[in-house]
Amino acid sequence: MSVLREMLENLLSRPITVLYPKEKVPIPEAFRGRIAITDDKCIGCSKCSLVCPAQVITMVDGPRDVEFKGKNLARKKRPQVKLFKCIRCGLCERHCPTGAIHLEHEHAGAGTDREVVVT
Amino acid sequence: MTDPVSILVYIFIFPGFLFLAAYALFLAYLDRKIAARMQHRVGPPFFQPLADFIKMLGKEVINPAGVDWRLFDAIPLVALAAVMTAFLYVPVTGASPLSFPGDLVVVLYLMALPTMSLFLMGWLSRNIFSAIGGIRAVTQLFIYEVPFFLALLTPAIMAGSWSISEIVAWQQQNLWIVFFQPIGFIVALIGLQAKLERTPFDIPEAETEIVAGPWTELTGRRLAVMDLTLDISLVVGSALIAALFLGGPALPWTLNPAWLNSAAGFLLFLIKTLAVLLVISSIKVATGRIRIDQLNDIGWKYIASAALVQVGIVLVINYLWVAP
Amino acid sequence: MPEVVVSIGPQHPALKEPVNFKVIADGEKIVRLELDLSYNHRGIEKAAEQRNFIRVLPLLERVCGICSHSHATAFAKGVEEIMGLEIPPRARYIRTIIAELERMHSHLLWLGVAAHEIGFNTLFMWTWRDRETVQDTLEEMSGNRVHYGMNEIGGVRRDLTPAQVAAALERLPVLEERIRQYVGMVNSEETMLIRFRGVGKMSREEALKYGAVGPTARASGVDYDVRRDDPYLAYAEIPWNVVTDTHGDVYGRTRVRIGELWESTQIVRHCLENLPESPIRIDTPKNAPKGEILSRYEAPRGELAHFIRTNGTDRVERVDIRTPTLANWTSVAACLVNQNIADIPVIVAAIDPCLSCTSRLTVAKKDDRGSR
Repeated sequence: MSVLREMLENLLSRPITVLYPKEKVPIPEAFRGRIAITDDKCIGCSKCSLVCPAQVITMVDGPRDVEFKGKNLARKKRPQVKLFKCIRCGLCERHCPTGAIHLEHEHAGAGTDREVVVT
Repeated sequence: MTDPVSILVYIFIFPGFLFLAAYALFLAYLDRKIAARMQHRVGPPFFQPLADFIKMLGKEVINPAGVDWRLFDAIPLVALAAVMTAFLYVPVTGASPLSFPGDLVVVLYLMALPTMSLFLMGWLSRNIFSAIGGIRAVTQLFIYEVPFFLALLTPAIMAGSWSISEIVAWQQQNLWIVFFQPIGFIVALIGLQAKLERTPFDIPEAETEIVAGPWTELTGRRLAVMDLTLDISLVVGSALIAALFLGGPALPWTLNPAWLNSAAGFLLFLIKTLAVLLVISSIKVATGRIRIDQLNDIGWKYIASAALVQVGIVLVINYLWVAP
Repeated sequence: MPEVVVSIGPQHPALKEPVNFKVIADGEKIVRLELDLSYNHRGIEKAAEQRNFIRVLPLLERVCGICSHSHATAFAKGVEEIMGLEIPPRARYIRTIIAELERMHSHLLWLGVAAHEIGFNTLFMWTWRDRETVQDTLEEMSGNRVHYGMNEIGGVRRDLTPAQVAAALERLPVLEERIRQYVGMVNSEETMLIRFRGVGKMSREEALKYGAVGPTARASGVDYDVRRDDPYLAYAEIPWNVVTDTHGDVYGRTRVRIGELWESTQIVRHCLENLPESPIRIDTPKNAPKGEILSRYEAPRGELAHFIRTNGTDRVERVDIRTPTLANWTSVAACLVNQNIADIPVIVAAIDPCLSCTSRLTVAKKDDRGSR
């Protein structure tokens, strides 16, 4: 009987489906979205590249003078991430000493090129 | 109505093939939409069954190796022709112009043909799943056909005629038969659900057990035709039950201009078939599939005995009514 | 009909993942069964030997999508024990909350799949709709709906903010109400009862003999639950009950899983309301001392065992994963004999098979063309 009652209630109420392009589901704050790098914070320590489980971060040339903990450093390299191969685990964000590499709030979207990079 | 043009219009356009196909697609849409809404989902848009039909017609037809493809092409068409012909004898706007004494039996025979064709196709596809599905289809046919025929025979006994249109006319003068035979009505609904192979009786097509049963090797236009056959069976079945138990397309009094009478009858036909569809859809949503041996159990123990009890009651009523 | 071979799988609508049953059937009754499991072998155990402790956890999480937290936690707690570390209480409680939420979403998923296997698609739609509530909670807490990434050696990665705790507590009454309704439905809906009762019956002796674990064994009266008998995380400090049943058939397993759903909501509520204040992680050494450990965990499907051997470096030397589904397959093969073909999906679904978890072993025969 509970089945029949629920069927009738559902028939008379609005469907629970979110009609996606018109209505959107709210994304929670802690969501692990696309990977992004803030260049002026990065000190080139390569920790992100060392901890990435999928090995999609490579360090490329990127000299720049940065300041870290009151000292001025001459950075030599900076990270480059393959956007669509990143598994969004957040280990790089966890181990980055300055918070330069992080996961944004929105999705990475869809693309057709597996090698597209973010620096 | 013996003039050939109007007979041809009756057979091919309204309420014949064209109207029947359109109404079948509409009822298929309604069935899916009601089921979806009961499950708290949105459901397909209005033109979905038509879109499915057209898409299927254009798909590639795959002939499994060693299978006689001519038979495979012909069998769905035979099934379609059978159910379309069955609809001609069911009253839609009043008495059917093609009715004759005994047309109830013809309709019941023609409605059994789609199951036979499913069995044939299951047997002919050289595929173990289709063979099992075909055997289950015929087993199910044996089990439900006896109570179904008995339940549809009792209105004929009560009205004293084997013609559907005359049964409708009898109900016009007396009450709807459902008030005299509620058990028969329920048995007929269950039998219809089994004939259309819908849950809880979709055993031949059990998707999670035998892939698609006899439907496995149907592709492209064969699948389109067979799907349309099942949708048309839904219309014929609900129209038959509406005519035999719910009074059919007839008001208790006759309206004066003949066209108004037909129009009112047609409206009643639509309302009653939609009511039957609502009940059938609800049964489909509310239950799961049972096993073939459990159907054997339930079918013979409860459903067939209920039908026999109904026949007994009707014979007693007839005797008491007629005799004094 | 004489005996025919009905090949269920590797691709079949009843199965969510590839597995091959060659069923030898006589009419509708099954005479014999041959089982072939390893279609999803991915070489994870070997790949885990080449990654250090930071990088190996996401790999082990991805052994399975539905029980991902189980694998990560079992491994993390094993390595922490080898290193001799004691993680702070808040970390333990957070791990417990995520573990129980994972159990809830897994059992709701199972209920939907079991209903789908008997053609009762309505219950499938309804349970998966309620599962979305659990997924939303998990997404808020961990950032992703599966593969939560909450663990690291030494604690958890993220903390729970008071807002997240409040939102989760708000969703719990809704879930409790729905679970009560499902209990009612399972006990009264006729077609479910006749398809589930008496199907795949396994007595207590048989369950012990075939090594069944988890709800499959508890439904046959085997009173064993790793959370109580070998406590880990916060389970020793929380009041909760082990759910067992005596029916031993698919109906019994359904009742056990719904009972566990209820217990999980109570555990989550208790943990959320009593979260201790402490740091969420501690510093860990880079290398692990030499040692071997068997780390056991109660995954949603049963007892999960990770055997870990370390050799003083920052990687494991060997990790061997014995998943609960692997332990339950023998019982399926045993209880399928003399049942109907129509019951195969039901009995297989009743152990909650997770083939990605199971396929840890592949045998390559030199004289065959491929590997089996």
